[in-house]
Amino acid sequence: MVTAITTGAVGGEYMDHVLVVEWRVGPGDAVRQGDVVAVVETAKAATEVEAPCDGVMGPILAPVGTEVPVGARLGLIGADAADAADAAGDQPTPEPPTPVPAPEINADAGADAGAESDPGPADRRVPEAGDGARLVASPAARRMAAETRVDLRVVAGTGPGGRIKRRDVMAILRAGAPAGEAGLPAVAGSPEGDRPLAVRRSGPANGTPVLLLHGFAGDSTVWHALERELARRHPVLRLDLPCHGRSPRRRYRCFRDFAGDVIATVAGWDTGPLHVVGHSLGGAVALALADQRPQAVRSLSLIAPVGLGSEIDGGIIEGLCRASRVESLEPWLRHLVVDPARVGDAYARAAMAARADPALRLAQGALAAMLFPDGTQAVNVTPLLRRVRVSLRMIWGRADAVVPWRHALAAPGHAGLHLLPAVGHLPHLEAPETVLRVLEDLITCTDDGVSTVTSATPDGSLLSTQEA
Amino acid sequence: MPVIRYAEALNAALYQALSEDPRVFVLGEDIAQYGGVFKVTKGLRDAFGDRVRDTPISEQTLTAMAVTAAMTGTRPVLEIMYADFMPLTLDALVNQASVYGYLWGDQVELPFVLRTQGGGGLGTGAQHAKSLDSFVAHIPGLKVVAPVTPADARGLLLAAIQDPAPVVVLEHKLLYNTRGEVPDGGAPVEIGRARVARPGRDVSLIATSRMVLEAEAAADRLAESGIEAEVIDLRTLRPLDVAAITASVAKTHHAVVINEDWGFCGYAAELSATIMDHAFDDLDAPVERVATRDMPIPYAQPLEDAVIPNAARIVHAALRALA
Amino acid sequence: MSADLTPLANRPSIDDHLTMHRRMAITRGIEQELGALHKAGRTRGPIHRCDGQEAVGVGATAVLTADDYVTTTHRGHAVYIGKGLDPRKVVAEILGRETGYNGGRAGHMLLGSAAHGMLGGNAIVGASIPAAAGMALSVQLRRQDRVAVAVFGDGAAQTGICHESMNLAALWRLPVVFLLENNEYGLTVPYTAQSAVRDLHVRAAGYDMPGVQIDGNDVVAVHQAVAAAVQRARRGEGPSLIEARTYRMEGFSTSDVGGYQSEADLARWRARDPLTVSRAALVESVGADRVEAVEAEAAEIVAAAFAAALADPPPRFAPHPASAPYATPGPVRGAARGAALGAA
Repeated sequence: MVTAITTGAVGGEYMDHVLVVEWRVGPGDAVRQGDVVAVVETAKAATEVEAPCDGVMGPILAPVGTEVPVGARLGLIGADAADAADAAGDQPTPEPPTPVPAPEINADAGADAGAESDPGPADRRVPEAGDGARLVASPAARRMAAETRVDLRVVAGTGPGGRIKRRDVMAILRAGAPAGEAGLPAVAGSPEGDRPLAVRRSGPANGTPVLLLHGFAGDSTVWHALERELARRHPVLRLDLPCHGRSPRRRYRCFRDFAGDVIATVAGWDTGPLHVVGHSLGGAVALALADQRPQAVRSLSLIAPVGLGSEIDGGIIEGLCRASRVESLEPWLRHLVVDPARVGDAYARAAMAARADPALRLAQGALAAMLFPDGTQAVNVTPLLRRVRVSLRMIWGRADAVVPWRHALAAPGHAGLHLLPAVGHLPHLEAPETVLRVLEDLITCTDDGVSTVTSATPDGSLLSTQEA
Repeated sequence: MPVIRYAEALNAALYQALSEDPRVFVLGEDIAQYGGVFKVTKGLRDAFGDRVRDTPISEQTLTAMAVTAAMTGTRPVLEIMYADFMPLTLDALVNQASVYGYLWGDQVELPFVLRTQGGGGLGTGAQHAKSLDSFVAHIPGLKVVAPVTPADARGLLLAAIQDPAPVVVLEHKLLYNTRGEVPDGGAPVEIGRARVARPGRDVSLIATSRMVLEAEAAADRLAESGIEAEVIDLRTLRPLDVAAITASVAKTHHAVVINEDWGFCGYAAELSATIMDHAFDDLDAPVERVATRDMPIPYAQPLEDAVIPNAARIVHAALRALA
Repeated sequence: MSADLTPLANRPSIDDHLTMHRRMAITRGIEQELGALHKAGRTRGPIHRCDGQEAVGVGATAVLTADDYVTTTHRGHAVYIGKGLDPRKVVAEILGRETGYNGGRAGHMLLGSAAHGMLGGNAIVGASIPAAAGMALSVQLRRQDRVAVAVFGDGAAQTGICHESMNLAALWRLPVVFLLENNEYGLTVPYTAQSAVRDLHVRAAGYDMPGVQIDGNDVVAVHQAVAAAVQRARRGEGPSLIEARTYRMEGFSTSDVGGYQSEADLARWRARDPLTVSRAALVESVGADRVEAVEAEAAEIVAAAFAAALADPPPRFAPHPASAPYATPGPVRGAARGAALGAA
């Protein structure tokens, strides 16, 4: 059987056509599900296209330079080489996704429908959240969920303390997904909840891989510019953080649980030590990874990480979370950078397209409420930073409007600080060459086994407290 | 429609009642010769003579006498100058007026009206600025109304005088000089019916007396943020128009209850419990309560302002509900 | 200055006296039967018996017409019977029966009958005073020929509303009679420990109204004094204060364990029992046979009243819509959900 490679929804509702700018595989190449096989441009913002399944690359239907409608087939993948070859003359229809049936939470509701008992529209009992914590939802949200048969466990709460409100259930319904299919399975044992975090691999097969962890409200595509260069020399792994990109949406009670999912994922790999690069929220996760599994981290690069101070621009976080249209997203994106041209209309459209799923936005809203309540960083990884032993670089834009660059001063003495002038919260986008150079330097010297710090120098490790 | 002051609207109701029904009489401290300290009874003595009486400062006895006078064929309207003095009247209300309708049933009627005014805002201090709404609204067998517009002041006072049961009319010292259209004709306003002062879809601001004006101001500010607040003027505190409340909460799913009585065990607490009883499944957030801080009312302006509820506190409560 | 109540009104007629005697005997019979039923555990709550005080309530109300008003205390059985209420319906109310004057809702302390102008028993000490003054105000405003009598005790005489009421009634010349039934005890405390003056009637001077002290165990004396005060009130001359001296023979209530009243006092007052005093006067006038016949009649009335009331059904509870806190029915929690969703 043959499966089509399509652009999916990259263009979102704002794009008609995309331009194919790169093919990374050719006919006959073996591909694995999730591999980046092509890059398309949506109004000048590059978007990667992944293989939808394992198999062998068949014909390329849209060569580099062609403009194709959103959703069009770019190429075909066969189950094996013969299949792929046959596919040249075949035009198979992709199989429609099989909907997951709605969970029957009221399976026994009608057991005792006596004359005086009001059968009601649906059972009102609400299951507990999968992790044993009580599921907090407003009465109106519970009633609406019961009546529309939405499983509240898959709804991300955006109310205070993560309470599920009516609007959250409505968002799920507006997304049009049948109950149980959309949203956030938080339950262990559900197919969605158990799905592993999404990771994209590129670059050569050998070498110490570079793991890239994106920031809050982003996904692994934000590394596009950097990844292209790094992948020339190093294996590159780009992880979608939980509740981001293609990773499952789960409910977390604290940062520790959130980072724990990433750490567990990395622990399951057989890649050996990694050069870990984390941006913003991904930076805090990277630090947690280095703290808990030091043997898995050869070097650590933190780009404007969160968790090193209390200040954060809550308005930007909230604005990013809440934006449901390009028009409302774009102003917030501009806050992230110094030069607004970096996040022009096209970038905003692409970013919005990646955030088109309301369930994803809801999940991130809940995450933001947990991580950054009331415009304050509830995450504190400063103690981890003080005891980190691995080679460490910190990169920060001095014009960062989201997380103040002075948080970098919490770094221990052995760390290298790179404070970039006229750069905002996205150094890897605003100054990719500089960031690349810092990363390559670190990789080079740590791969030589030179620079792994074994003990912190007493005099240099207390800069943060002096500064405070 | 003529635009008149709240105090004039009350005066018009009293004048009309005294004119139409010889059983009606009006008594209270400083109300006859002087016309009342808030001038609500101005001119009535001249028009109706002995049926408008100045009294000694004897709130306990006057209230008790008004109750039995009502029971024996008259329709007394007693003015208690400040709501803060209502504790003096409470035996007559809670042990006398409220019980006979039940104990003695159809044998007696108690068409008795107690008018008083409460509330802060004029620097009258801890013994002259309270709103003790819950003291009276608590009592089975009493009716309690709290008009905020001049039209309702006239219509509800008239309805109270015509009602066969004891009715407490809660006025507010800051309302007497407010103006509003009052329809001609002198029709009573039905007791037990709330009023939608301003329609909205996002959050219900359920308020009483002058707090309705603060809720309307809060609604204006919320509108600047795109939030459409519905303001419900309860008008009657007891019997409560629970259907109006549930209808609004069913629409907005968010409720802020506002009352100038103290919060703890106060009237706002009753509203909150009522919503829980009758509209729990409509709630998308906990009911927010805005009430006077649980402490004596201070004298100096910044202190009093900090204690009495206002539009800003209502806005904050609405935003908390909508968070 | 203060007028007085002399010359006293005419003595009651013999027929009136016989009627009063019968009503006192009925009241006494009721009290004694209630005491027996209480001991048998067949009554509910405390009952405040007026044994030995019957002459006050009966003598005062005998003066009044059906249109006149009277208010009384938690110890008001003599007033109930004196004002002409049906003993059977009074007993039924005391026993909490459906056939009582108030269907068992009021009980023995708060019984009321508008048709008799008996409005009514009042168990807040002092509250019967402004209650009667308010009725008198109503009478004055409606220019009626009625009077109101407030029966209250020596304990009530110490309340603030007693002062307020007397001042107001005198100020406005209300047609009210303040009948102070001084039985010497406010619960367990003698009135001498509660009042700065021994003779409570002297307070009338402070309100510019007549005040007299009379023998409250002599029903004729009570009748005469109240009649004079009522006539004064009807003439529009305002209120009067009558202090009727009597004594509480059976404790504060059926719950009272006693021990604070001296045997000497009890014996002295027992010798002056109002029925004894009345009987002696009547025997002199109409002979013992006639008096015994009246007393036998009273005993039959009491026996019939209790027999009937005890056989009467207990009341059935019904809610009281006029007390309901809600003007409009709200949806019951959890019901009517489908419609609400449609609206959303």
